[in-house]
Amino acid sequence: MINNAEQALKLHHARNQRWGFRWALWTAVLWGAWYIPGTALWFEAPYSTIDPFSQSIRLSATAVMTWIHAIAVFIFLLIWNASLGKLKEYGRTIIRFRKLSKWYALASLFGGPMAIFGSYMAMGFVGPVFAAVTSLFYPVIGVVIARLWYKEKISTQAALGMVIIIMGGIVIYGPGLLGEDLMGNHAWLGYLGGIMSAIGWGAEGAVASRAMDVSDPDVGIQCRFSFEVLFWGLFILPILAGFTDLPIKQLIIDTVTSFEAMKWMLLASICHAYCYTAFYKSFSLIGVGRGEAIGNLYGVFAVIFVAVFTLELPEWYFIIGLVLTMTGSFVMFREPADSVSELRAL
Amino acid sequence: MKLHHKGYVLVSLADIDNCWDDMLIQSALQEYDLSGRYWINHFSIILNELASAGLIIRDDYRFDEQSNRLSFNYSMSEFGRMRMRDTGLI
Repeated sequence: MINNAEQALKLHHARNQRWGFRWALWTAVLWGAWYIPGTALWFEAPYSTIDPFSQSIRLSATAVMTWIHAIAVFIFLLIWNASLGKLKEYGRTIIRFRKLSKWYALASLFGGPMAIFGSYMAMGFVGPVFAAVTSLFYPVIGVVIARLWYKEKISTQAALGMVIIIMGGIVIYGPGLLGEDLMGNHAWLGYLGGIMSAIGWGAEGAVASRAMDVSDPDVGIQCRFSFEVLFWGLFILPILAGFTDLPIKQLIIDTVTSFEAMKWMLLASICHAYCYTAFYKSFSLIGVGRGEAIGNLYGVFAVIFVAVFTLELPEWYFIIGLVLTMTGSFVMFREPADSVSELRAL
Repeated sequence: MKLHHKGYVLVSLADIDNCWDDMLIQSALQEYDLSGRYWINHFSIILNELASAGLIIRDDYRFDEQSNRLSFNYSMSEFGRMRMRDTGLI
């Protein structure tokens, strides 16, 4: 017979598990929503005027866009942490660079320049569907790193759920690959970009989770974006502007002076800021593997948001993908809460 | 400058063998001059995250039926001490 204390303990574990999955689901919803303003931005000046075949200008535009986006995300996170009363905690955390916040700097390198740039390379040199499919594999990388680095437990049930969610994603996006030129000129750059994006996002989760062992997730995400702003603003963009003839300055000026571009930029940033906040919060409650796997449902939400805003129904095979991803999510959620209460096999 | 919150909780627990959460939380509230239910929950979540990640161990628990509150007795794990060394907390 279970006494009240045991019952309370079970409820405690179940509540934590529910909150972890809730945060991870919010990640997926906001990530999916991000695709609407994120894509719309490319249809506004100065980005709409760029020749689609001019890869170097497109990549420079991506770099500029990502930097301005990171600054806006940083501002939204500042508002978030101010409202939570955690600004002092942000200062106490970021200042300990050598022992602590360096991990957030590394996470920002993986998630920013490596993953986002890789994803755009995959889009540019093979196609957007290929980029979406390769990104779906990032939880596998996250789980492997977390497992090897700090022994994160991943049960058979969680692994099964993750595989079903990835299969669902492939069913949704896979048929679109038939319309893409997989063997075109410089396709190897696209494959390299696909690998970069999967490794980048997977590794970001594992590295950030390592930092969150001893720091607050809300503050951690702001540290991560602080470093991303610095990487682009102090290193990558000045190098591109100084050593190449790419129009970096002009792209920055044209972006911030365009009301339409900034409107989409701010909408994308607000989605991204709180998507990432939810993402990091889920890691400390259900682990990197489960958080990233549920985060992978962004593929489903992206299709739903596109359908809502364009009033065009998705292809029939979306239903099969949807059933698979929902099944995978339920398989993961049905895992006993006790097994999620201790995330490491120490 | 004061330690970040998780760092403070780890250092406090490392100084004693084990401790109930309400004592750790009270000590943290005093250290940062904070009060109220929000900050009590904040430090409870911190302890919960540290336990999930294996840095601290839940040695015991008790349920107070009057306040409907579940309390935990925590101690440091070897992994927690290792992380503290990695991050310059000890």
